[in-house]
Amino acid sequence: MVYPLKALNANRLKTALICFSLIFSITAIFLITAISNGVISMYSHILKSDGDIIVTQAKISDTFFSNVNRDLLKTINTLQGVNKSSAVIVGATPVENLPIVAVYGISSNRFSNYILIQGEYPKEQEVIVGKSIYELLQNKKEIQIANATFKVSGVFESGVGFENGGVVLNIVDASAIFNKSASMLLIGTSLKNDIQSTINAIQALSHEIEVKSTQSFIDNYNQFKIIKTSSHAVSFIAFSMGLLGIVSIMSITVHQRKSEFGIKRALGIPMRKIIGQIMLESFILGFFSFLSAFFIAHIVLFFIQNTPSLQGYINGEISASLTFYIFLTSIGMAIIGAIIPAFNASKTDPIILIQGNKL
Amino acid sequence: MIKAHNITHRYHQDIALDNINLTIQKGEFVAITGESGSGKSTLLSILSTLLKPSAGELFFENQNYNAIKNIDTFRQHNVGFIFQFHYLINYLTIQENIQIAHEKATSDEIMTLLNTLGIQTLAKRFPNEISGGQKQRVAIARALINSPKVVFADEPTGNLDSKNSQNVFDVFQQLCQNGTTVIVATHDKKLALQAHRIIEVHDGKL
Repeated sequence: MVYPLKALNANRLKTALICFSLIFSITAIFLITAISNGVISMYSHILKSDGDIIVTQAKISDTFFSNVNRDLLKTINTLQGVNKSSAVIVGATPVENLPIVAVYGISSNRFSNYILIQGEYPKEQEVIVGKSIYELLQNKKEIQIANATFKVSGVFESGVGFENGGVVLNIVDASAIFNKSASMLLIGTSLKNDIQSTINAIQALSHEIEVKSTQSFIDNYNQFKIIKTSSHAVSFIAFSMGLLGIVSIMSITVHQRKSEFGIKRALGIPMRKIIGQIMLESFILGFFSFLSAFFIAHIVLFFIQNTPSLQGYINGEISASLTFYIFLTSIGMAIIGAIIPAFNASKTDPIILIQGNKL
Repeated sequence: MIKAHNITHRYHQDIALDNINLTIQKGEFVAITGESGSGKSTLLSILSTLLKPSAGELFFENQNYNAIKNIDTFRQHNVGFIFQFHYLINYLTIQENIQIAHEKATSDEIMTLLNTLGIQTLAKRFPNEISGGQKQRVAIARALINSPKVVFADEPTGNLDSKNSQNVFDVFQQLCQNGTTVIVATHDKKLALQAHRIIEVHDGKL
């Protein structure tokens, strides 16, 4: 372990270049994955907080465009196993100079999900606003959504960044603004182990609706798939950039250290030991870069989360499993990137040492 | 000890060595001399297993080189190399530079060897902190740490002044007295005269 560290220290400039290359790549993977997961997690949290079953308009690609008759709730509430239900309209609107603010029109029984830190829950023509957006409002008493003006009756705080940066109002008012009955219905059941029978019962009520367990909805939601695919694509590009960085700089380093590897070969040091040395050096770089990227990603996410103009919409989530996954990716990147240079080093012909190869 | 039988080597179409036959005894001090480009380094490279000849057979203690299964292990246990340039690794101390040739060598063993070569005070220094003559002595120590049966040296005094050159040859003579075979390629005829035998290479022939 000491010799590889000494070798890295002796080639400080190239060591630093490889580290920078790795750190940028790993940080990029951390951030894109964390932010994607954060977006998915926040929206999933909203959906999961109120129900095991979600009802949307049939054959519609996105909840934003979904329109479900909320009168169905009356019948749904009579079904066996249903213990809670609510309707939600999800929309977006510009508010003052903020280009886009999420709007949640909800059934009155869902207001308790929003913890008030100021004022009271909204009545008709009133809204409560999330803490993040409240700090950005110039007129903190009333806001305009579409052509209607709403009084700000309170301020709430939510652990979900999407909600903190949004506006919550009665579904009747939201219905008038967005010209729909409800974007979705959220159903809670007491039959946790057998919600399929409830799903079937709800589905039987109308052919214009699509009923799924919330988990199934989240797993198959197109928007989430797009976010995940984009995240994987960007991560792959970052991975490739890091990989190419290691391969190229490590190859230059190995070339410059040719006499070192040549003398080792002449002394009878086996090829596998030389490969092992390069791999170990690369592993150390990968490990160090991973740690650096881990801390940098946390710092960047902290600033993103606390940037008022982002309204809390971007909320990265670095879980233990993500950290482990990126650790493996980092080490994998370092090891794979070192394979070609390591083999080249191990194949250094000691004949180059004979009179500088002037035979 | 070493026997070369009908050794020929070509670089593309050019013949570097032409039908060389040679026998070197155990404990012999042999100097290979010749003009630049005569083929002496090629001969040394072939005898030391660094280069495979285009044709012919080589024997080490009656074992055919081609029958050696693991050339790395063979070199590690039987052969020591000294080059014109010391090729010490700059980021390692003198002691570590010697240890890379023999990982299991103890500090005491290394210090004894350095002491024999008169450079025991350099053990903790780095190559860029010592003189050219001292570096070549360290290179000799590195070649000897495995107690090789044969030491091959390619122009080992090429970068040294006459005093340090003589010191190196004194070490070689001492090695031979202890039963180690020494084969040196050199263009310095004065130094070559100190060897037991001089083999002159001219246009690839002895």
